[in-house]
Amino acid sequence: MNAIIQQRQGRKRHKRKNHDKCYKKCGTIRSVKDLRRHLQTAIEIEHATLPPYLTALYSIKEGTNAFAYQTIQSVAMEEMLHMILACNILNAIGGHPAVNRKRFVPSYPGYLPHSSDAFIVGLGKLSPDAINTFLAIEQPAASGSPPQPDHWDTIGQFYEAIEYALCHFDLVTEGGIFTGDVSYQLDENDYYGGGGKLFKVCNLRDSIVAIQEILSQGEGMSDSIFDSDELFGEAVDIAHYYKFNEIKEGRRYTLNGTPDKPPQGEKVDVDYEQVYNMQPNPSIKNYPEGSALWQQTNDFNKTYMALLDSIHDAVNGNPDELKRAIPLMYDIKYKAIALMKTPYKDGMTAGPSFEFVR
Amino acid sequence: MTEKNYDVVVVGSGIAGAVLAKVLTQAGKEVLMLEAGLTAGMALTPQDDYENYQSYLQRFYETTIKATNTPYPEIEDAPSINVLDIQAQTPYETGYMVQLGPLPFASDCLRAPGGTTMHWLGNVPRMLPNDFQMKTRYDQGVDWPICYDDLVPYYEMAENEIGVAGDVDAQQGPDMSRSNYGPDYVFPMDKIPQSYQDQVWMKSTNGLDVSLYGQHYTVNCISMPQGRNSTPNNDYRYANTVWDPASQSLILTTTDENYEVVGATWNSYTGERCEGNASCVPICPVQAKYNALKTLKKADTSKLDIITKAVASKVLIEPKGTDVAGIMYKAYTDPDSIEYTPHIAKGKIYVLACSAIENAKLLLASNVANSSDQVGRNLMDHMVLLTWGLLPEKGYPYRGPGCTTYIPTFRDGEFRKDFAAWISPIDNWGWSWPTFAPGSDVTNAVIDNAMFGKDLRSHLNADVPRQTLLHFECEQAPCADNRITISEKYKDHLDNFRPVIQYDASDYMRKSFKAAKHVSDQIFAANNIEDHTVYSPTEADYVTWDGQGYTFRGAGHIVGTHRMGSSADESVVDKNQRTWDHQNLYLVGCGNMPTLGTSNPTLTMTAMTYQAAESILKQLESNN
Repeated sequence: MNAIIQQRQGRKRHKRKNHDKCYKKCGTIRSVKDLRRHLQTAIEIEHATLPPYLTALYSIKEGTNAFAYQTIQSVAMEEMLHMILACNILNAIGGHPAVNRKRFVPSYPGYLPHSSDAFIVGLGKLSPDAINTFLAIEQPAASGSPPQPDHWDTIGQFYEAIEYALCHFDLVTEGGIFTGDVSYQLDENDYYGGGGKLFKVCNLRDSIVAIQEILSQGEGMSDSIFDSDELFGEAVDIAHYYKFNEIKEGRRYTLNGTPDKPPQGEKVDVDYEQVYNMQPNPSIKNYPEGSALWQQTNDFNKTYMALLDSIHDAVNGNPDELKRAIPLMYDIKYKAIALMKTPYKDGMTAGPSFEFVR
Repeated sequence: MTEKNYDVVVVGSGIAGAVLAKVLTQAGKEVLMLEAGLTAGMALTPQDDYENYQSYLQRFYETTIKATNTPYPEIEDAPSINVLDIQAQTPYETGYMVQLGPLPFASDCLRAPGGTTMHWLGNVPRMLPNDFQMKTRYDQGVDWPICYDDLVPYYEMAENEIGVAGDVDAQQGPDMSRSNYGPDYVFPMDKIPQSYQDQVWMKSTNGLDVSLYGQHYTVNCISMPQGRNSTPNNDYRYANTVWDPASQSLILTTTDENYEVVGATWNSYTGERCEGNASCVPICPVQAKYNALKTLKKADTSKLDIITKAVASKVLIEPKGTDVAGIMYKAYTDPDSIEYTPHIAKGKIYVLACSAIENAKLLLASNVANSSDQVGRNLMDHMVLLTWGLLPEKGYPYRGPGCTTYIPTFRDGEFRKDFAAWISPIDNWGWSWPTFAPGSDVTNAVIDNAMFGKDLRSHLNADVPRQTLLHFECEQAPCADNRITISEKYKDHLDNFRPVIQYDASDYMRKSFKAAKHVSDQIFAANNIEDHTVYSPTEADYVTWDGQGYTFRGAGHIVGTHRMGSSADESVVDKNQRTWDHQNLYLVGCGNMPTLGTSNPTLTMTAMTYQAAESILKQLESNN
């Protein structure tokens, strides 16, 4: 294990972009305003992965599927970290994250925001199909893929475009673009229990480290199944795509694992039967208004909105508000599980719908 | 099993053993650790670790009558004390301990990977300077061979390792102020927020004047330092305790980074903050509470061998001389079978770190380190007087961890010449300790009063949130006749000795119960708390003083069975915690404490263990 860590630490990581080439690679990001809009999209993408991951996670029956549970939970936690990191970057360049508006909340089934619409993401129980979708979400970019600010094929290509734009506009803007109010930044004191250490983004370097953290946890380093977490004082960990692949293959990667080979380590049990048989893509519209399931779903959605409101306030100048979001996160879990224990029809149960409500 | 000759053989994987394993291996020493408990508890892969811990939780949730050791496996081959075995009438020999009386000893510890830190509460106040000089100051007990100032650097190491959350400036009371900690010292993490119930209590308790035997005392309520994760303190700059060969000492390194919060052993993202689950004892569901496995995980595993299911049975002495030659342990396969295979663990230095009870038992069984005849004697515990009542308003117990506030007012004073000092934690667990609430409230309402439905709910809602408890942990003074012995008559499954206990409460203690109840009455009155305290003659550890009866309970603070001292004829270990009789045998743990003070002893014991680790490293280096 030490050998791997040394090898990885030896790799040159946060390579500075060549500024001359940056502008060309920014694509449609033509102004700081465009850049802010794309970072808002980044926040929306990170968030859009959470309802599907959490739904699959909470569909696992208590005391079963420990490996799948731990795995999906760890990915979901890292996505939450990514979402807040993206908010920090947006705040750093003077933007204002908006996380509680109607258009912020995705509808399922649907495409991920601003993607190339290659795959549909829905809300459903843990299943082989769900894992395939998760693999598509976390698909690593092929080596040498171009940056894609819009209609992206992989999240990595989207962030690559943002990274170029950050470099470019910071260089060409008098005084730089990192002029946001530092008191809007969240750090490890505000955020914990999920995915790694949150840090303030105050300059270009911080923003690149943040993007690298997001990408390496998600798709992995380009030539490795591992993420870069030892830089952040964490244990050796593998990237999301490969974590989901372990569930799919029912087998762990070894420390010698590589992206081009299936996992070859110990077997793990994934029991798709020990899962609540949830109706896919539940919606409050399926239930007669005022019925018990309608009320239960409405209550869930209200909790979800309260959580988004809390996060919105936290990333807009009230970092302390994030502490108050914690009980809401537990409520989301309890209420999602309660829905998945409630029979609906055709032998299926209801489930969390994650819908906008006011 | 192994022929390897280690630098150090450590018996036990509790906090003392874990600190030794971490410090010694990080200093490059080869360490063998023997652990009597099951292998699963030592799981080093996140997956196995998680699953094992979930099995602990499952057992806790599913068991109706929950005790401190409920979540953890019961093993015939390495039995743990079960507090539910405690009976009022002594002598008796049911359960693991043989209780000769006159009073039953009412505390337990856990024989499992991680030791008793798996079920401890996590309160970690330091001892007071006067606690180390009880003989000189108050003509009680004995003085320690070290003083508070000697221990301060090691307290800082222990607070770093445990990850203490607390407010140094709040630590104000008799013999305690900022000066106990030094001008700039802060704990690694901010204090855990004091509970809502604490705020209710504090309104009428802070600044309250109480009288006791003609003296007046001003009561104050302060935040409890605890080994439980909260937000890192931005001013804390210590990183890790390491061996510095140049100065031949342990030093705390500094860093520009913030304190790294240590989450669950299976997932560092779990338990990064206390979530207020309120089941700290016997098990924190997310491991926001410190346990020794967190420390053990940080050891240099390339230099550490751990053998589980290995019950140390005898300390072997060289045929010629007094050096320890090895530790015989019995390795079992099936935890409830009588079959075992004997092995001998060998090292240059041996350390017993398996609790005050097991250390003493092992020494007595081996007839070593006992030229002073002090092994097994001076068994101590905090004798806990509980008082409970109903608040005039809802205090909402069970919100937050077990204890976030305490009253330091009677931790020190001239009265210690006459009766025992105490610390008063304000507990957050309603009446659960004395009455098994809230379960018993449900049972009583349903069975005795035939309540159900809305009536039952509103009855519980009216009463349970008002239940409140105050508790008085009275410092037991050392007494040679409170002791652990062994007898051929009493052996366990593996033919190891069971502890045979003699125990009593002296007048010094009984007088303290009376004083504590008198103080409680005044605090209850000031808060308009309706007193529901009942001490019944049929209870275990019911004692009388001055015509009144009191029931005390065990605190789980088992201390003093192989005390340290300044001369070989009245103590078992010297101030370096090395046995006077054997130059390569050290003892660590609460057994070394000559007196108890009013602190929960783990922090002090951990600080002492750092001292012992330093002595061991010095000895190893000088022999090279």
